[in-house]
Amino acid sequence: MKILVVEDEKGLAESMVEYLTREGFTCEVASTFMEADEKLSLYAYDCLIVDLTLPDGNGFEIISNLKKIKATTGIIIISARNTLEDKIHGLEIGSDDYMTKPFHLSELNARLKSLIRRRNFNGNNDLEWNEILVNLAARRVFVAEKETFLSRKEYDLLLYFLANVDVALTKESIAEHLWGDYINSSDSLDMVYSHIKNLRRKMIEKGGKDYIHSIYGIGYKFTAP
Amino acid sequence: MKLLVKTSRIYLFASLAIYLVVGVAFYWIIKFMIYDEVESRLLMEKRDFVFFVRTRPTWNTNYYFVENKVNVLPVSGGFDNSVTFKDTVIVNKYDQTSFPFRQITFYTHIGDVVHKVSIRKSMIESYKLIEAISAAMVAFLGLLMIAMYLFQRRLSVNIWEPFYHILTKIKEFDLTKKEKLILPVSEITEFNELEDVLKKMGDKMQQDYTSLREFTENASHEMQTPLALINARVEQMIQSGDLSQTHTYWIEEIYRASRKMSRLNQGLLLLAKIENQQFNEIVPVNLTELLEVRLVDFEDVIAHKRIDVQNRLTEPFWLDMSPALAEILLNNLLNNALKHNMSGGKIILESTPNDLRISNTGGALKGDPQRLFERFKKESTDTDSVGLGLSIVRQICNTYHLKLEYTFDKPIHSIRILREEPNE
Repeated sequence: MKILVVEDEKGLAESMVEYLTREGFTCEVASTFMEADEKLSLYAYDCLIVDLTLPDGNGFEIISNLKKIKATTGIIIISARNTLEDKIHGLEIGSDDYMTKPFHLSELNARLKSLIRRRNFNGNNDLEWNEILVNLAARRVFVAEKETFLSRKEYDLLLYFLANVDVALTKESIAEHLWGDYINSSDSLDMVYSHIKNLRRKMIEKGGKDYIHSIYGIGYKFTAP
Repeated sequence: MKLLVKTSRIYLFASLAIYLVVGVAFYWIIKFMIYDEVESRLLMEKRDFVFFVRTRPTWNTNYYFVENKVNVLPVSGGFDNSVTFKDTVIVNKYDQTSFPFRQITFYTHIGDVVHKVSIRKSMIESYKLIEAISAAMVAFLGLLMIAMYLFQRRLSVNIWEPFYHILTKIKEFDLTKKEKLILPVSEITEFNELEDVLKKMGDKMQQDYTSLREFTENASHEMQTPLALINARVEQMIQSGDLSQTHTYWIEEIYRASRKMSRLNQGLLLLAKIENQQFNEIVPVNLTELLEVRLVDFEDVIAHKRIDVQNRLTEPFWLDMSPALAEILLNNLLNNALKHNMSGGKIILESTPNDLRISNTGGALKGDPQRLFERFKKESTDTDSVGLGLSIVRQICNTYHLKLEYTFDKPIHSIRILREEPNE
C-alpha cells in the first residue's frame, strides 16, 4: 500500500509516516504543492493524505489535479480549517474523508484502513483476526465461529481496535472515535470504560481470548497475549 | 422624525410666527396712520371752532345741523384745560345703529363762560379702509406663505435627494460581501465629501473585516498544526511501551493539556466567527425537530448517566438561522444539561412556536446566575471543561436577536430560548 502524505509541517509529516509505516504502509512525503503535484504525476499511490493549506498552493487543487490523472486513489484531507464549507467542498471534488487537526494518529490509521477496504472490495469483505471474524457488509461479528451480538458502539469499538492492533490507544482517542468531539469528556471516558468492559465480556463468553489490555494512565491496547 | 417633515415643520412655524407679527404690526401701523389723519383734522376743526367763537360771543348748536358733530356744554366749576381724544360710539337716531366716532374734547370761552366742546368725526369710512387693507394683507401674506412653503418643500426634496440615495446605498451595503460601496456623484460639494468619506470608510471596513477573517483562519491553522504535532508525538511516545509510571503521568498531562488547548482554540475561534458573522447562510430551521435528532447522538451518555429524558416537544419552534449554528447551539445546551446533571437525574425538553426550553436537574449554582453565560465561567471542577459552551450559546442567541432566560427552581435549572419581542 503506497501512500503520499502532503503536509508542510515537517514534524507532523514525520509522525504520520512513522506511525503508518509501523502499520505496514509505504509512505512518501511531499511538503509543498509543487512536490506533491510532481510526485502524483510520476507515481501511482493507493491513498493520498493531504493538508489544505500549503505554503505554495491549495490542497484542493492537488485533489482536482489528481482526480484528472488517477481517479481511484483514496483521498483523506487533514486540515486545521474546521468549516462546513471546506468539508463539503472537499467531498464534492472527490475526497473520501476529512479530518480536522489536531487528530489522533490511531484515528487516521483506522480511517485509512477503512477507506482502503472500501476501495478494494467495495465494502463486501470480511475482516479476520485470530478467532475474530467481522462481516463488514452485514455488520455481524463471529468469535470462535459463534455469532456475537454487539451494540452499535461496541461494534465500532471492535473495528477501531482491529484497525489498531498492537497499538496503545488513548481513552480520549477511543471516546472521540465513538462519539465525535461534541460529548463532554469526563462522561465519555467513563463510557469508554463501560463499553470496553462489555465488549471484553461478550467476546470471552463466546470463547475468545482476552485481547484488550489496559495500560495504566493511558488507555488500552488490543494485542495477542 | 423625517428630515423633510422636520424642516417643513420648522419652516411652517417660523413663517406663521413672522406672518402673525407682520400682520399685527401692519394693522397697528395703518390704524395709527388713520388715527393720526383723523386727529389732525379734528385739531384743525378745533382751531376753526375757536376762531369762530372768538368772533362771536355765543354758540348755537343750530349752526351745525348735522347731528352731534359738535357738542358744546357750559362748564361750571374747575376744569383742566387739556385737549383729549377718545373713541366713542354714537347711535344713529334714524335706524338705531351705532357708529364709531373719534372725538376731540377741549375747553374754550364762548363769551365769558367756559364751555366744554366736543367735536366728533365718523370713523366708519376709516374702519372700512382698515378692514379692506387688513383683509388684503391676510390674503396676500397667506398666499405667499403657502407658495413659499410649497417651494421650500420642493427645494428640500431636491436638495436632499442625493442624501437619501446615499442612505439607501449604505443600508444595502453588507461588509461581509465582496461588493464595494458604490455611491453616485452629486453636484453638491458637501454630499460629494460625504460620499468620499463613506466610500473610504466602507473600503476600510471591508479590508479590516477581510484581514480579521484571514487572521482568524490563519490563527486557527497556525495553532492547530503545532497542537497536532504535540498530539502525534505524544501518541508515538505512548507506543514506545517502556515508560515508567512517572513518565506516563507526565505524558498523560501533556496530552490532556494539548487537547484542552485545542478545544479552547476551537471554541474561541467559533466565538470569533459568530461575532464576525461568518455564518451568514440563513434558512428556516425547526429547532424542535433538530433537537430530537441531536438527542439520538446523546443517547449513550443519557443511558450511561441513567437520565430520564422527558420529551415534551410537541409544537415546532421555527427560527431563521444558520443550520450549522443551530446544531452547535443545541449540542451545547444538551451537553450543558447533561454535564451538570446528576446520575439518575432528569432532562425536560419543551417547545412552543415561540420558545424552546431545556431543563435539567442539578445542584444549585455556586456562582452568580447573571454571569452564567460569560466566558470561562465554569461551574464544574472538571478540568477538561473549557467554559465556553454557554457563552457560545449566548453569542448565537445575540446574533439572531433571541432572548436567553435562565431560571432555577430547585433542583431544576432551565434555559429558555425565545424570540425577542420587537422593541418598536
